[in-house]
Amino acid sequence: VNIASRISTKFFSSATVFARKTFGGIQPPTHKEHSLRSQIMSTPIPAQLSIPLGSREQEQITLFVETGERVCKYQKLAVLHSSPDGSNIPVHAPTSGMITSIEQSCVADHSEQHQLCIKLTTDGSDEAVTLAPPADYTQLSRAELISKIHDAGIVGMGGAGFPTAEKLSSDRGAGFEFLIINAAECEPYITADEAIIRERAEKVLLGAELLRQASNAQRCIVAIEESKPDAINALKEILHADGQAASESQRHCEMVIIPSKYPAGSERQLIQCLTGKEIPADQHPTDNGIIVHNIGTAYATFEAITEGKPCISRITTLCGQALKTPKNFEALIGTHVDFLFDLCGIDSGKNHKSILGGTLMGFELASEKAAISKTCNCLIAANDSELREHIPEQACIRCGYCAEVCPARLLPQQLLAFSKADDPSQLTNHGLADCIECGACDYVCPSHIPLVSTFKENKYAIQSRQNSLERSDYWQQRFQYRQYRVKKEKDQAQSKKPDLPKKIAAHPAKAQQEQPGIISKAQASRDIAAAVARVKARRSERDGSGNEPPSKKGRDR
Amino acid sequence: MNGLKTDAPFQHSGNNIAQLMQTVLLCLLPGILASLWFFGFGIIINIVIAISFAMIAEASMLKLRGRDFRAQLSDRSALVTAVLFAIAVPPGSPWWLVALGIVFAIVVAKHLYGGLGQNPFNPAMCGYAMLLLAFPLEMTGWHIPNEIVRGPLAVDSLGIPIVTPGQEFLSPLSWRGFKQALLLSFPFAASNDFDVKQFMDGLAMATPLIEFKMAGTSALLAASESGASLFARESKTAWEIINIAYLCGGLFLLYKRIISWHIPLSIIATVFVLSALFYAPGSVAIYGTPYLHLFGSATMIGAFFIATDPVSAATTRPGKLVYGIIIGLSIYSIRVWGSYLDSIAFAILFGNFCAPILDLYCRPRIFGHGAHSGSRTPEEPAK
Repeated sequence: VNIASRISTKFFSSATVFARKTFGGIQPPTHKEHSLRSQIMSTPIPAQLSIPLGSREQEQITLFVETGERVCKYQKLAVLHSSPDGSNIPVHAPTSGMITSIEQSCVADHSEQHQLCIKLTTDGSDEAVTLAPPADYTQLSRAELISKIHDAGIVGMGGAGFPTAEKLSSDRGAGFEFLIINAAECEPYITADEAIIRERAEKVLLGAELLRQASNAQRCIVAIEESKPDAINALKEILHADGQAASESQRHCEMVIIPSKYPAGSERQLIQCLTGKEIPADQHPTDNGIIVHNIGTAYATFEAITEGKPCISRITTLCGQALKTPKNFEALIGTHVDFLFDLCGIDSGKNHKSILGGTLMGFELASEKAAISKTCNCLIAANDSELREHIPEQACIRCGYCAEVCPARLLPQQLLAFSKADDPSQLTNHGLADCIECGACDYVCPSHIPLVSTFKENKYAIQSRQNSLERSDYWQQRFQYRQYRVKKEKDQAQSKKPDLPKKIAAHPAKAQQEQPGIISKAQASRDIAAAVARVKARRSERDGSGNEPPSKKGRDR
Repeated sequence: MNGLKTDAPFQHSGNNIAQLMQTVLLCLLPGILASLWFFGFGIIINIVIAISFAMIAEASMLKLRGRDFRAQLSDRSALVTAVLFAIAVPPGSPWWLVALGIVFAIVVAKHLYGGLGQNPFNPAMCGYAMLLLAFPLEMTGWHIPNEIVRGPLAVDSLGIPIVTPGQEFLSPLSWRGFKQALLLSFPFAASNDFDVKQFMDGLAMATPLIEFKMAGTSALLAASESGASLFARESKTAWEIINIAYLCGGLFLLYKRIISWHIPLSIIATVFVLSALFYAPGSVAIYGTPYLHLFGSATMIGAFFIATDPVSAATTRPGKLVYGIIIGLSIYSIRVWGSYLDSIAFAILFGNFCAPILDLYCRPRIFGHGAHSGSRTPEEPAK
């Protein structure tokens, strides 16, 4: 059992949950009202689907179907091996139809925009495999719940896409103190979570309760921004209802209204807001007795457990001024973006930019032919007038507004200076790795400096430098060990009588591995002296023979 | 990292440097108007000269450095430097003095160090300090406008002018006052050189704190007795009103969140605490009341407008507090124990010296680091 988690569990037992002040943050215009005017709509079945498989690597995917095969709705098509330790995510067919091909295609996904996709030509009959919902889902054990969530292929619906089942079982058996259901949805334009709560509050809360049971958490907290009165009222109605059935299933669930501020929904900031605890940078919330799930995940869990329905659709916000009727869609996974834009009446005469996610952390889509993935929470067709105008970057005047709004309490102005000076050690020292890339600094910068892009680039550069260093160290060690081994074998072959203790001493790496601390200082210094002597001998031998290595010759020229 | 260009965030607050600088200029307005009221047109003439030369210097430097001249000229930062500098220079200074100082500020203190955002020292204060060292006499005389208009007053044994009640009062804002101010700034245009020379030599007086520094107890007493009401157009009390006007402008800057409260508050608090500690009525005049130290000289404009210049100040929250304390300490020390006549410029320049190191060492704790253990740096830097 993880000691840290046990200590923190103890620490939290007395913790009260309320919305605390968090550092930094911005309050941009939200533009949320447009897509909230109508109810969540389901789309007609598109003629073509490109079902993303979650990776571009063929090796990470096990396919159960092949080109030309007919599949039914809910049928398991493939399994993505998401991490080397054996965890995987199943992928299901959103509707019935014929598989035309399996190929690389553009996907509206936060992590990878080019993935292997199953191209499905739908037949419109929507013929489904019979689902097998449990007789009484309240009787399911924790392990059964987790396995059902896994089989439904549920991933984090907020955008990260981490396999939900894996997260639920990451407590190593100790259980959690808190399950936090993240309904903050602080980024502009996105309303998917708000719409779900507004219209399906009961299902969502039941899903949250199921997640709580599946994670063995003591308390479940739904955190929602104060700017969503409709959703708050919908939740209140159920949580404070006097009906016995409701109170029985929602006994462990409470709602906390948090201030509207971006990025209030960032996981670690949200935890600090609710519990007052800062999760140490080198740990996960799950190491500290806290598990956070998006409210969309709770809804998907509800469907998976009570109906046995795998994750084949998601609620996605469609908005932006280029759309005539922005709204939330319950869209099948694999639906193409342009299909959804057409449903919202896109003004195709005008130029627009298509963005995946909100306007502060989103990506510009490479193509409108992209297919939506399980993590695609929002698609924006934005007119140029509603986005930031392109103003050339000016000099940093060190006004420090960026530091005032940075939720990680970093100093973007200093990080920028060190980026320009190409000083990776100071960048690391100033916490570049702790940047959550929320874009608040960019938003307020009076000089219009692309801070987040600069930081992302540098993060990536430092990471790859670190990786290559580690790799070269590893191979250098391997090479030195090989040289040593070859030499030793040669020595052994020459000497008739091998001296056993000396041999171990002369092989420090191995000796240390087997019996740590067995080599004394004196022995170590002897070894070093011997090694130096060997190198000297080799050098003098080489110089004596008069054959210079070719590389040196090349250098001299 | 998937090979696609990411432009996020796609939204922006609309902040920009030009707007920022414009608000600063706007907040300087009450103080400038107060100066105009008390000291006449000298300050306006200074501002006009300084802005003209600042624009010429800025434009030619941008051109020489091959920068995008139109975009950078419109950021209004040179304008703010010029106005701050013009305010600091005594009204009625000859035009070449103002021009020399502002050209030095823009060319040497700003552009030779790399232009906007790169200058380690506040350009306006660099220009001012250079003038103060090179032309101490011209830089410490503040003309009493009344006298400019109506001719010299009798002076008592301590050098304090004696105003007899019956003397005719002439507004420095009158046409005649304007003409006199112009003649002081452009002495070559005077029809009768002798008159101007006379003003230059005989009619100048120092700012209250400089004067108190030079004078003994009796001068302080005389000053408080002759001090009349706050709104009388007597240069001694003028300083109070001017400081209050700058304070109002500064508070508006705070309200608009152009500056944070850290630097002004720590400077004012430090000066207040020191002057309260060392307050010694009846001894040497310079150990005056906290009120004298806060409102008797350029403390307010220094604390709100000059020390908060973001480029040369410390930028971290704890760093700003320490920076303000350093400046407050320096202001008081230079004023009371130092040999220079002006303290604000040197104190701020000294603060500028310390700012980079403050930014490195006075850092906020990064989120998720050392909340309980107390270590600040996340990890050992990568090799």
